[in-house]
Amino acid sequence: MRHITCEGYQAGNAFDELIAPDGHPRPLARGLCDYIAELGSEELSGRVAAVDAAIMTAGITFMVYTESGNIDRAWPFDVIPRIIDGHEWERVEKGLKQRLAALNMFISDIYNEQKIVKDGVFPLEVLQDSKNFRAACVGTMPRFGVWAHVCGTDLVRHSDGEFYVLEDNLRVPSGVSYMLENRRLMKRLFPEVFGRYRIRSMDDYTARLYDTLAALSPRPGERPVIVVLTPGIFNSAYFEHSYLAQQMGAELVEGADLVVLDDDCVYMKNIDGLQRVDVIYRRIDDDFLDPEVFRPDSCLGVRGLMRAWKSGNVGLANAPGAGVADDKVVYAYVPQMIKYYLGEEAILPNVPSYLCMYEKDREYVLANLDKLVVKPANESGGYGMLIGPQSSAEERAKFAALIRENPRNYMAQPTLSLSTAPTLCEEGLAPRHLDLRPFVLQSSQLYVTAGGLTRVAMRKGSLVVNSSQGGGSKDTWIVEGGQ
Amino acid sequence: MLSRVGENLYWMTRNMERADNTARLINAVTLMTLDMPSGATFGWDALLKVAGLDQLFFMHYSEANEDAVMRFLIQDARNPSSIMNCITHGRENTRSFREVLPVESWEWMNELYLYARKELPDQLNRRHRYEVLQGIIRRRQSIVGLLAGTMSRDDAFQFLVLGRNVERAYMTSRILDVSHAIILPSDTPVGKQYGDLLWMNILKALSAHQMYRRHVGVHAGSVQVIGFLLKDPLFPRTLHHCLAEIGERLQFLPHSEQVLQVLRETQAMLRDADVAALAHAGLHEFIDQLQIGLNALHAALCERYFPVSDGPLQAAPDDAEVEE
Repeated sequence: MRHITCEGYQAGNAFDELIAPDGHPRPLARGLCDYIAELGSEELSGRVAAVDAAIMTAGITFMVYTESGNIDRAWPFDVIPRIIDGHEWERVEKGLKQRLAALNMFISDIYNEQKIVKDGVFPLEVLQDSKNFRAACVGTMPRFGVWAHVCGTDLVRHSDGEFYVLEDNLRVPSGVSYMLENRRLMKRLFPEVFGRYRIRSMDDYTARLYDTLAALSPRPGERPVIVVLTPGIFNSAYFEHSYLAQQMGAELVEGADLVVLDDDCVYMKNIDGLQRVDVIYRRIDDDFLDPEVFRPDSCLGVRGLMRAWKSGNVGLANAPGAGVADDKVVYAYVPQMIKYYLGEEAILPNVPSYLCMYEKDREYVLANLDKLVVKPANESGGYGMLIGPQSSAEERAKFAALIRENPRNYMAQPTLSLSTAPTLCEEGLAPRHLDLRPFVLQSSQLYVTAGGLTRVAMRKGSLVVNSSQGGGSKDTWIVEGGQ
Repeated sequence: MLSRVGENLYWMTRNMERADNTARLINAVTLMTLDMPSGATFGWDALLKVAGLDQLFFMHYSEANEDAVMRFLIQDARNPSSIMNCITHGRENTRSFREVLPVESWEWMNELYLYARKELPDQLNRRHRYEVLQGIIRRRQSIVGLLAGTMSRDDAFQFLVLGRNVERAYMTSRILDVSHAIILPSDTPVGKQYGDLLWMNILKALSAHQMYRRHVGVHAGSVQVIGFLLKDPLFPRTLHHCLAEIGERLQFLPHSEQVLQVLRETQAMLRDADVAALAHAGLHEFIDQLQIGLNALHAALCERYFPVSDGPLQAAPDDAEVEE
């Protein structure tokens, strides 16, 4: 029987969320470490097995695309939670709200007057080459001036103990259902430990999401008809689409279920005929949304949807074109945006970024490829990245060529030391690297989840936390007022 | 409610009812073979006829022995109506409309699927087979009970009950039909005695034996059993009851007049049937007519409520939602 306890845990050089450098639990983690010790190895193993069985029964899965076909994989969940101090979280929350507010002002500005460009704060050339800039959105101003209604912001904690923003996901961020399911699993299987802490509840997310969407209804006063638009059952995030529809009491629809008529309104095809739709929470990328405007070969979207949206007859979240700010080069300008639009200093710092489109930055990046993380501007899910310190000379040569060929499409950042937390592995409790994705909502109000989805790189030493690449997850506790 | 969701609900219960019915049928037949008089042999191919799968079976197998027929009906991937396939399809259907069902239904459905996946792929001996199939029936019935106890009587619920009763009506009609397929040595006293046994076993295959005894009698003759399974208004698997239930559900659904009209024609045919005459001759032809009526009913339902169907779901491109 392996021995499972926080004692003798070997934290590495990174900041550890639960264990202090002297090897003792941090003050907020003491209760948890005592609890694990009291449970004992056998009981803990039994409960882990129960968690795994519950995940299988609940069908909490995601689709992984492999060469030998698609696999519906069980959600990998680590039972040791991550703990964050409530006071610290208040500051993070403020920072996240500030950031999304500024990003939405930026998107409105970019599709309208472009004052930030005229005032020389944001260079036009970044925009010209942006893959996610949608010409079809120019001149449009959605309600509240909000484009990104649901944002998943990726945070990492560096060895200096500070949270940095790694990226803002403004298109179709996923993961919130796993955050909610992680909490439900923890409550079901470790109920006693919840008595020892005051953990902020995150149950209200789906109600807040509903309110955020309802505020976009073009027909105020009535109970709006809200739908979740999914690419379908084979999509990797289908579990989440279905989950959110279920939790909000909304209809889960596919493109073929909707139609836009000559009155530029959206209807769904019901058993008793057509019913008007007020708000669409779409989980389909812009490209596939409307074959009339974007990719003409898309059979997932709805012909005429853009017309309906621009006429103000349907609310669309997130708005088409919001991805213009979801670009790793645009990212580098967020602190300037916050200053420009809000007259404030950014509360949450960016990771220092080198933009390969600028010669000076590019020379530095090419000379230091072995120390940097290089990212393409528009990819997501951890694809197409170079992690310098772990790369081969061959990979570095390949990236140098890519950067020279298309400098606008690449940016680089110093390799951050992602914080770690004790994670249940083959060898017992061992440190694994983490990030954190809180979800931020904005329409008539701003809202931040209490915590977020903590993703874990389950392989020893790995910094890649994406679930599509073998990442796991943990429950995240925002703990109020000590124990 | 979305047409696509209505269609998936309808097929979900049809699939689950088919899995349940097949499991009951196999268990009843297994017990039946133990009762057989010496000199009589049971034709396993009769079971395939009941399931309407004899042609498909002989495309893949040369001989209808117990092992082959059981494998084909229970877990063969090439049989779209095998119990394993029905449960898999039912689960996939459920995944596409989780939001219209009570929250636990998906977990229970998933648990049934995991149970079937774990227990079915092995070669099943008779004793183990009986237990596993009972396990499937019990889990499926828990889901039916869960829905009955916790689901609003909305349109979604009506489609569930519709699918269940359409599938049941087909099954009962096929089981009645098989009686003519079993050739008995009827000019001997053994054959006469086995004739009673046959009709009793047909009742058992539909889980109807106990209710028949209670409401009709202990003797199972052809006229009584055919009359019971066609016309009894109280037992939930008789054709009369299935059709009445379908009619009642249609009343709740919008614009159902045309479908009801098709239903009434089949109900009239059933009402006018002369059971004593059918028991003597013409049962097979009568059941053919009934099944044509059921086909027309199914077609009318699809035309009325599921006109947008594009057939089976197509795989979406991987990048339709970039997992951010």
